[in-house]
Amino acid sequence: MAVGARDYYDALGVSRDASTDEIRTAYRRLAREYHPDVNSDPGASDRFAEISEAHDVLRDDEKRRAYDRYGENWKAASAGPGPGAAGGGGAPRGGGPQGFEGFDGGFAGFGGGGGGGSVGEGDLGDIFESLFGGGRASSRAGGRRRRGGAGADGFSVRGSDHEATIDLTLEEAFRGGSRRFQLSDGRDYDVTIPPGVRDGQRIRLAGEGGPGVGGGPSGDLMLRVRLLPHPRFRLVGNDIEVDLPVAPWEAALGETVPVPLIDGGTARVKVKGGSSSGTRLRLKGEGWPERDGRRGNLYAIVKIMVPKKLSRQERKLFQELAEVSDFDPRTQT
Amino acid sequence: MSLVILHPAPRMSVEGLARDSGLHPDTVRQLIRLGLVAPPFPDDAAAQLARAVRLRRDLGLNFAGAVLAVDLLARIDELELRLARSPSNGRYPR
Repeated sequence: MAVGARDYYDALGVSRDASTDEIRTAYRRLAREYHPDVNSDPGASDRFAEISEAHDVLRDDEKRRAYDRYGENWKAASAGPGPGAAGGGGAPRGGGPQGFEGFDGGFAGFGGGGGGGSVGEGDLGDIFESLFGGGRASSRAGGRRRRGGAGADGFSVRGSDHEATIDLTLEEAFRGGSRRFQLSDGRDYDVTIPPGVRDGQRIRLAGEGGPGVGGGPSGDLMLRVRLLPHPRFRLVGNDIEVDLPVAPWEAALGETVPVPLIDGGTARVKVKGGSSSGTRLRLKGEGWPERDGRRGNLYAIVKIMVPKKLSRQERKLFQELAEVSDFDPRTQT
Repeated sequence: MSLVILHPAPRMSVEGLARDSGLHPDTVRQLIRLGLVAPPFPDDAAAQLARAVRLRRDLGLNFAGAVLAVDLLARIDELELRLARSPSNGRYPR
């Protein structure tokens, strides 16, 4: 049933002769780091389950003795179910494919052997004190006094949300539609991308997060969209910008040239004679999808390019042009 | 926080929140009194409630501490999102 074959002492990073205090301190530190609500990485919840299971066993003298003696099989070897399992009521249902059984069992046992005690009492209280700067000397008693919410027998809560990042090219985000996505732990999904999704938006996969406890629903998996930089297109608000390379004579004399579109097509735009670099040509409605079904604009931005190498004749013509022209770009406004 | 809602939920009641969060309605009411969520409840209200209860249970916070933690985590999310969107930073945290 173990979450992993990992030794409980290793899981908490303590030595085999660690004191109860050392074990508790190690657990708290790791719990703050790997708690799935603090660390939304999908891998963190497995780690937290491991930490919780180790803590649940090592914090209890009886269980710890059994574990020290029988190792991994301590539960089967020690006679009868432990107090946690006995008081837990519906605990076995928590056993998920990721080994959350021990995780849930631990929670059921938190109230102590009494059965039906409220959740999270006792020495859990002083963790709050140490987290938020209160004194800790009398915290144990303080923790006991605190009232729990739901009783342990009826306790249930929804699982945590997990978060992962999904990288999309601009074209993929524009088009939307179905896409295969694999999590770092190997699970993969067919994700429906809403067309026009933007950087930082989240796509929710309902019920694919952490499992619920005590019959509570599972959490969701949130995929946070990250739009990859595109070699040509830039997304600016609802508009898309694209560089429009033109030759000096095309810019000077005017020419109709092709412009690539985000949907894969091509449009033709007329570059008017006398266009300099930076001139913006608007293609209405060829931009990014907006919420209301309309689209932003595409701006093709004139970028005058010159040949790296000139042929003999090109050089001659440019020289001729230089002699004839009195154009000085540095006196223009 | 922008959220793409693929399955829009109807406006929530305490009972609806209890169902979606897996919590007892009394717990939901207690968290509402502590100001964790307020009507009209946002779409992620049930997730926030459950988060507070899990934090309380696993890290030993009391409800007031858990509500504070949930608030702070939400603000961190928000700031990370803004940071990622700021033009000076094309890279994403984490």
